[in-house]
Amino acid sequence: MTPKERWLAVLNREKPDRLPMDYWATAETTEKMLRHLGCADEWALMERLHIDRPVTVTPDYIGPPLPKDTDIYGCRRAVISYSSGAGAYTETVYHPLAQYQTIAEIEENYTWPTADWYDYSQLSAQVEGKEAYPIRGGGSEPFLIYKNLRGMEQAYMDLALNPEMVHYCLDKLFDFCYQNTTRIYEQLPGRVNISYIAEDFGGQEALLFSTAMIKTFFIPRMKRMIDLAHQAGAYAFFHSDGAIREIIPAMIEAGIDVLNPIQWRCPGMDRAALKRDFGDQLIFHGAVDNQKTMPFGSVDDVRQEVISHIEVLGAGGGYILAPCHNIQVISPPENVVAMYETGYEYGQIT
Amino acid sequence: MEGTLQSLKQAIIEGNNKQAVELTTQLMEGGASPKEILNDGLIAGMSTVGELFKEGKYFVPEMLIAARAMKSGLNLLRPSLVETGVESIGTVVIGTVRGDLHDIGKNLTSMFLEGAGFNVVDLGVDVSAEAFIEAIKEHKAEIIGMSALLTTTMTYTAEVIKALQEAKIRDEVKVIVGGAPITQEWADQIGADAFAQDAASAADRCKELLPQ
Repeated sequence: MTPKERWLAVLNREKPDRLPMDYWATAETTEKMLRHLGCADEWALMERLHIDRPVTVTPDYIGPPLPKDTDIYGCRRAVISYSSGAGAYTETVYHPLAQYQTIAEIEENYTWPTADWYDYSQLSAQVEGKEAYPIRGGGSEPFLIYKNLRGMEQAYMDLALNPEMVHYCLDKLFDFCYQNTTRIYEQLPGRVNISYIAEDFGGQEALLFSTAMIKTFFIPRMKRMIDLAHQAGAYAFFHSDGAIREIIPAMIEAGIDVLNPIQWRCPGMDRAALKRDFGDQLIFHGAVDNQKTMPFGSVDDVRQEVISHIEVLGAGGGYILAPCHNIQVISPPENVVAMYETGYEYGQIT
Repeated sequence: MEGTLQSLKQAIIEGNNKQAVELTTQLMEGGASPKEILNDGLIAGMSTVGELFKEGKYFVPEMLIAARAMKSGLNLLRPSLVETGVESIGTVVIGTVRGDLHDIGKNLTSMFLEGAGFNVVDLGVDVSAEAFIEAIKEHKAEIIGMSALLTTTMTYTAEVIKALQEAKIRDEVKVIVGGAPITQEWADQIGADAFAQDAASAADRCKELLPQ
């Protein structure tokens, strides 16, 4: 089977030839893996480790020139290095909507990005030669952008103090996502397999905000994106970090197909319970712990964890193996190799 | 007076910043003792907020607005607290470690600590071991609190403890750590004195760390 056939088999609840596997890592981690295994590029790495990573299509930006280090929303980033320069993250350091108190002020002073700022004509070219792989395109993660626009603390306080502003901004952000995603589907009719419909609802210990707030602000708008995906023949891949057990039923009702990343160390995210309660309604993606096992565990710890995920989350199908989030650069390359070798060996379906 | 103190406590719980300011002012002008306003209004309010969080009824937005209301009240009250010799229960130097800019958890923790009666010296983000040590010495802090969100920066907490040992002040200060990837196991491994899994528990753990 090709990676695409493997993914579709799992998503359609048919029998794949083996467990499909996905790869999420920071750029520095990938660099390290390429050197460790002597691979020329990322696709060679994916082949070497039998990884079925989707091809992600992204349109080209053709909008107004952007100031240095600034994104389409006017958020300026700074590169912050960690671990004595082993790696770096870009962090937002300027929040363009932080200064405004009212929707009227935003309307008067701020220009919302539009899908007209993007050229979608090259998307077919992006997937040429990659027909063996599933295609990922479109979707949404607007509260992440809202936090960048208003500043993180203000964004959380807005949920309680400025609900009209949140509704207004989310409508703008989701409209952009809807337009963008629609145009992606139009360029690749029937060919997009998954759309990433995301929002981080959970922290390490509990939801970050209440189920009432999630249902008021997010679910109806996410449902619109989920329905759009389904109309285009794509699966809705729902990502939310953290302890999100409480909101899973509502997300299933909204129509999600895949649940990622199964951060099982968080309260309420016990894998056996998730499989028992939601296994017939959801495909699970993720689970390999990247906060502790991958960076600090032994090769044997990694192997045992992968086997356990296959047995618990993968019983009867319905599982795609992947890390819980980007594999961090401090993870020993041997652990990364062990993860995928074990997934390959124990993922064979007889 | 009692009614107004209760209303102030309630204003904190509801995160009503305007009310918190008005009621604190009213109480101060009405002759309530700063200590009473602090303990029965502000600290009592934050204590309830902490309970609501532990019960799973309050989340980040509710905690932030409550903490902000408490901070507004406390800022008004502070000069009178100093004047009347109301002392904090201890000093905590807190910061997010080097290489890490994430601070929402640390900020909530700072506010809960203040709301529990601590004097908090917040060093901000991307804080080096040297900056921690300097602040501990300058403010004669009983406790140092370190926050890390990234798996890749949590290792710096071990380096800070090592630096405290090299500066020969490890025995004079208690170390507490917190943040998403941090666990009790990690705290034990690096020789920290305590681990806090959230802002509300941090205040409880810090109280336990003070000399009894």
